Amino acid sequence: MRVRQVDEQRGLALCEDADGQRSSVEIALVDAVAVGDELLVHAGTAIARAASADEVGRGGERSESG
Amino acid sequence: MRYVDEFRDAELGRALAGEILGAVEPGRRYKLMEVCGGHTHSIYKYGIDDLLPGNVELVHGPGCPVCVIPMGRVDDGIAIAHQPGVIFTCFGDMLRIPGSDGSLQDAKAEGADVRMVYSPLDALRIAKANPDRDVVFFAIGFETTAPSTALTLKRAKAEGVRNFLVMSNHVTIVPPLRALLDSPDLRLDGFIGPGHVSTVVGARPFEFIPADYGKPIVVAGFEPLDVLQAVRMILAQLADGRCEVENQYTRVVRYDGNRRALAVLAEVFALRPHFEWRGMGFISQSGLKLSDAYADFDAELRYAFPACASPTRRHASAARCSKA
Repeated sequence: MRVRQVDEQRGLALCEDADGQRSSVEIALVDAVAVGDELLVHAGTAIARAASADEVGRGGERSESG
Repeated sequence: MRYVDEFRDAELGRALAGEILGAVEPGRRYKLMEVCGGHTHSIYKYGIDDLLPGNVELVHGPGCPVCVIPMGRVDDGIAIAHQPGVIFTCFGDMLRIPGSDGSLQDAKAEGADVRMVYSPLDALRIAKANPDRDVVFFAIGFETTAPSTALTLKRAKAEGVRNFLVMSNHVTIVPPLRALLDSPDLRLDGFIGPGHVSTVVGARPFEFIPADYGKPIVVAGFEPLDVLQAVRMILAQLADGRCEVENQYTRVVRYDGNRRALAVLAEVFALRPHFEWRGMGFISQSGLKLSDAYADFDAELRYAFPACASPTRRHASAARCSKA
């Protein structure tokens, strides 16, 4: 899902799926997200942020391992 | 759409199918298991079977959390749903799963307040809106879904929401794989590893498959090119005489997983000594219960219910995915 808005204080992001449906997503388990990021979301919680091709090339340095 | 369209490219798919055809040894049969139900869905949705040579067979694994819920747990959930004042919440695909005497949907028809939710957070919202009633969330899923339940419990605890309860049916992926590999009747050449579970646990927990059983495993994504590339990578390992854990799903899976998610799981859950799987029987240390720190939120401790356990042979005939 693509991040459209971030509410850092509440640990939530407003995300949009491929069909344009928007929902609120928990982002406590992933590194700081920004508008435009793609998140892998399960049951309302982001469990990974998709790495860019450049990050994959570097071994996924900006990972959700914090 | 980014991360989707490029993995559905038909021309690349045909090229990969050609590479797969060139990688198989004539006369040899290959049996590969896709562990995750999401892969099974993709294989049928995109007709991936039809792109593979006739001597490459894909076998469906135990990775559909709804399919492996035993009837006894459904029966226990229904018993809680019928308790006075309870609002019972679950994912939509659980509603029609058969127990020994009906489903949660049947319980709803009989008057129980059973509600479908899209996430445990929805159940928490219902609890906040109904402070005079207990709201029970029937939690199912592998390590992919368990972090969402765990975060919701942390939120409930932090906000002092005492009428939110969880009946945990979360399971872990490694024990059933080990049970399958220990089966003397099983003949598999390799595994397509579960991509979404691996975003949480990483690829490292699957090292036992090549180390102890001499089989290759490739963690893969869910788009058609992901699955085809994983098959290609497994066949390459077999052709080279290699046997390793490889990660095809590098855009979201790190070798060591998501440490934040693993930390939350360790805080909120504890391993059960054993858990029953529909069609597979009891498997040691394969289920998650709430940890002592979250005992106040444990529906199994709050309510008396039958604690049903049904003979496995009954489950096999009842695991009707097409009815789910």
